[in-house]
Amino acid sequence: MSAINTKGNSWLESTGVLLRFCGRIMGEVYSLKVFKYFGESLRQAGILILSSTIVIWSLIFIIGLQCGIEGAYFNRSVGSPAYAGVFAAWCDLRELVPYSFGYMMSAKVGTGIVAELGSMRISDEIDALEVMGVPSMTFLCSTKLLAAWMVLPFVYLSGVGAGFLASYLAVVQQIGEVSSGGYQLIFWMFQNPPDLLYSVIKGMCMATAIVLVGCYYGYNASGGPVGVGTATAKSMVLNIVLVHVIGMLGTQLFWGANPRAPIGG
Amino acid sequence: MHRAVGRQLGISTAVIRFDSRHNEKEGVHRLAANTPRGYSSRPPYCSQPGCGNQGQGQGERFRVPSVGERALMPAKNLLEEAGDMVILTGKTLVSALRPPYPYGGEFVSQFLFALKLCWFPLLISTVAFGYGAPGLQASNFLVLFGAIDRLGGFFVLASIREFAPTVTAIVLAGVAGTAITADLGARKIREELDALQVLGVDPIKNLVVPRFLALMLVTGLFDVYALIFGISGGIIATLVNGAPLGPFWATFFTNASTVDLWGSVVKCTLFGAIIAIVCCYKGMTASGGAEGVGRAVNQAVVIAFLGIFAFNYVFTQTLLATHPEIQVIR
Repeated sequence: MSAINTKGNSWLESTGVLLRFCGRIMGEVYSLKVFKYFGESLRQAGILILSSTIVIWSLIFIIGLQCGIEGAYFNRSVGSPAYAGVFAAWCDLRELVPYSFGYMMSAKVGTGIVAELGSMRISDEIDALEVMGVPSMTFLCSTKLLAAWMVLPFVYLSGVGAGFLASYLAVVQQIGEVSSGGYQLIFWMFQNPPDLLYSVIKGMCMATAIVLVGCYYGYNASGGPVGVGTATAKSMVLNIVLVHVIGMLGTQLFWGANPRAPIGG
Repeated sequence: MHRAVGRQLGISTAVIRFDSRHNEKEGVHRLAANTPRGYSSRPPYCSQPGCGNQGQGQGERFRVPSVGERALMPAKNLLEEAGDMVILTGKTLVSALRPPYPYGGEFVSQFLFALKLCWFPLLISTVAFGYGAPGLQASNFLVLFGAIDRLGGFFVLASIREFAPTVTAIVLAGVAGTAITADLGARKIREELDALQVLGVDPIKNLVVPRFLALMLVTGLFDVYALIFGISGGIIATLVNGAPLGPFWATFFTNASTVDLWGSVVKCTLFGAIIAIVCCYKGMTASGGAEGVGRAVNQAVVIAFLGIFAFNYVFTQTLLATHPEIQVIR
């Protein structure tokens, strides 16, 4: 199980160990074993809401501003400032809200899980749980995954709202080359509920991957105080790569063959 | 760090302190929160803001804070940390320029370290981002108008101006920045930094300055690398749509300008400075044993991400507003 710690393990082997670990955690959620510790899940959900939502929203807000100004300047340069809403709608909903959600999830929640579980592993608290007869993987990892699945769709949806608000502020209030009504018309015309659903699916895939990776690196940390820091740093590498790959695959899957734009016949 | 001398009592005290994982600041917090000691007493996804802080004096060790203090503590800690980081930036700049330059070897090793650690994640990330976000979405849109050749022009905006620097910064903060925080945090926890000070070695000059310079240089150079691979993502998107590459390059090079390129590289270099300062600061102020290092990494990467994107917004806005000639589509 301690594949990340022993040198000489092949890349493929550690991937297999990681996948088996993730499969086991997800299996425990799907087989409803985790509901034995539903209280702990609720506690984790509360912690997630209180400690992480504000940062996630603020990153999405800043990136929404970014989408807005780029869209406004780009559409000005092609001579159609009234159509800044197209750029903002696609940039926000389809691409950058999922990415920024993934970035902040991996930075705040992913490394947080590694730091917490890692220090529990180092100070033998996980072994103590096992000795007391508590299945540590269910109690520590599966409950976190369940909590993430319960809370994060709502965090994500409200984050989308924050991004939209920021783009509106940037395009209409800051740059100000399109009227509020003109912007809204185009903005809402270029998106529909399936787009929102696809976006949520993208974000949730990232969130699941991040929580699982965090649990894996934290649960298998070793090597004293230094080991916790190293495991946290290593989890971040994998998280960033996963976020980008999931983002790309999601775009390919959901919008690759069909632009879903109200243009043409 | 003034307490360094008093702590040089040998390994035994270090072990005791590590086992109880209890420092002055944590003591205050736990007393304030009135929670029992144990794994459930800590908020796992994060921690109190500013818990890596060094602001506590010896005198107020076990004082229970008043209600007002507890309500305003987060804001105060935030401001204190921001101020500390600015001070660290100033000190780093001064000691980078002031004559004895002992940091050459460390600079080279940090540079190679970041290079070795980041090139592969950065490659995957930029190709994936370039192919997915600007490549597929924009080519979808342009194909509707039969203007897929314009994708090259769009990549000047998307890749050079926006995502090459930001993705580089994200990867560098997530990969090299976290490694720096973990490294310095471990040294802090093992009291190596204090030992260095006792030996008369300035940790800022010998540890922070080389990392600061190396990260600035490496992010600036990686920006060019990210541009190349981001544009490869655009090329893949063009080929997927069955369009020839000639028009892609034609519109790309007609629209590309030197202002865009230097803007991109300068922005990315400054991202490197932000990452280095935040990560070094968080590493050097880590406290609280095994968990402390992990927590420091967690906070460092959150602050670095927010800082990067906030700075990106300001920089892009300024560049676009002051250089109207780069907005003309040719």
